[in-house]
Amino acid sequence: MLSVVLLFVLATPAAGLAQWLNYPTPGIPRLASGAPDLKAPAPRTPDGKPDFSGMWFANVPSRDNCRTGDCIQEERMAREQINLGTKLPGGLPYTEWSKEQMKERRANGGREDPHTYCMPPNFPRAWTLPQYMRILQTPGMMVVLHEFNEAYREVYLDGRPLPKNPNPTWNGYSTGHWDGDTLVIETNGIRDDMWLDIQGSPVTESARVTERLKRVNFGLMQIEIAVDDPKAYTKPWSVTIEMAVQVDTQMLGEICNDNEQDVKLYKK
Amino acid sequence: MKNTNWKNRLFPLSAFVAFIVLLLALVPAAWAHHSQSEYDSRKKVEVEGTVSKVEWKSPHAWIHVDVTNDKGEKVNWHFELPSPNTLMRRGWTRDSLKPGDRIKVTGSQARNYPDIAIATTVKDGKGKALFTGVTEIYEPEAESKGAR
Repeated sequence: MLSVVLLFVLATPAAGLAQWLNYPTPGIPRLASGAPDLKAPAPRTPDGKPDFSGMWFANVPSRDNCRTGDCIQEERMAREQINLGTKLPGGLPYTEWSKEQMKERRANGGREDPHTYCMPPNFPRAWTLPQYMRILQTPGMMVVLHEFNEAYREVYLDGRPLPKNPNPTWNGYSTGHWDGDTLVIETNGIRDDMWLDIQGSPVTESARVTERLKRVNFGLMQIEIAVDDPKAYTKPWSVTIEMAVQVDTQMLGEICNDNEQDVKLYKK
Repeated sequence: MKNTNWKNRLFPLSAFVAFIVLLLALVPAAWAHHSQSEYDSRKKVEVEGTVSKVEWKSPHAWIHVDVTNDKGEKVNWHFELPSPNTLMRRGWTRDSLKPGDRIKVTGSQARNYPDIAIATTVKDGKGKALFTGVTEIYEPEAESKGAR
């Protein structure tokens, strides 16, 4: 009887709220208070590899302006969404070709951004966008689902080589291998006209992108993004971003073309 | 002499404070699928009126508000909000605002349209804040000069 009452008490708050936005995620480490134990060790798969499965969002603190406590706090965004090289001294090492591209993109205030036009979220940029992601990990493949346009990305973990002369796509072609507890994802075959951030830092078909994923603990993932793109950059560079795990929530698809109205505001 | 030293020390402090203020000013808008450069953060808007329509769709929710201006004319204002997903994660539901609700909205006006703005705060008829957005708007020139 006690367990029935307890089940009712536990289930009631979630049942009264929209969708599963506050439904407790099962099987995660929790503190005695019931809050997720973000400092708990990174979970592992049955074969002993770090398990990146779960929902993720850029690890940026919320800026709560609700001093009086009667309003709803702001949304958060990674600075890297504006400029992926924001933490690099001197910024990204643009080639002259890239500088020409960016001159116009900056002058236009980012209005030519493919993201504004509801085009797909392209990795590695997609890590920094203000929507949630879900990683599903199996021994042979990692899949990243993205709320924006309900998109997906595949990372093959079965040892296959990167394709030669591939047909370019928004996310390119990705394979992953383990370096200890770090998952190293290599990507080629990215389209020639992709953006890495709002200010328009390019990435092109000549790029080889390497992402090194490390799950520091249950709550935190670090991703080192290394870009070797001789058309767009004078030398290879890398930046490290952080992702925070998201629990007790769900993916909410966001179809951008459902009611896009901003493009027309740029023009008159 | 000591006073002079004190003033000399104060100057770097004030410069530091100015630097921090500048950094905060450069913090970008946080919930857009676009740069928001179509809005002018210097053109502040504050209106009070009645909700005429709510568009609860991606990529951004919109609320349309009937406002009586200084000349006694009825004007329909259009306010862009975060995505419904963002709003739901902040406690809103599709029923939080309904046609007929009395609200007060602040925001930044569109550069090219006199009756469109991006909402910064939305308060109900009793003055209770329903949502506080981020007001700073992407400024490409400022970013490029930021040398960060």
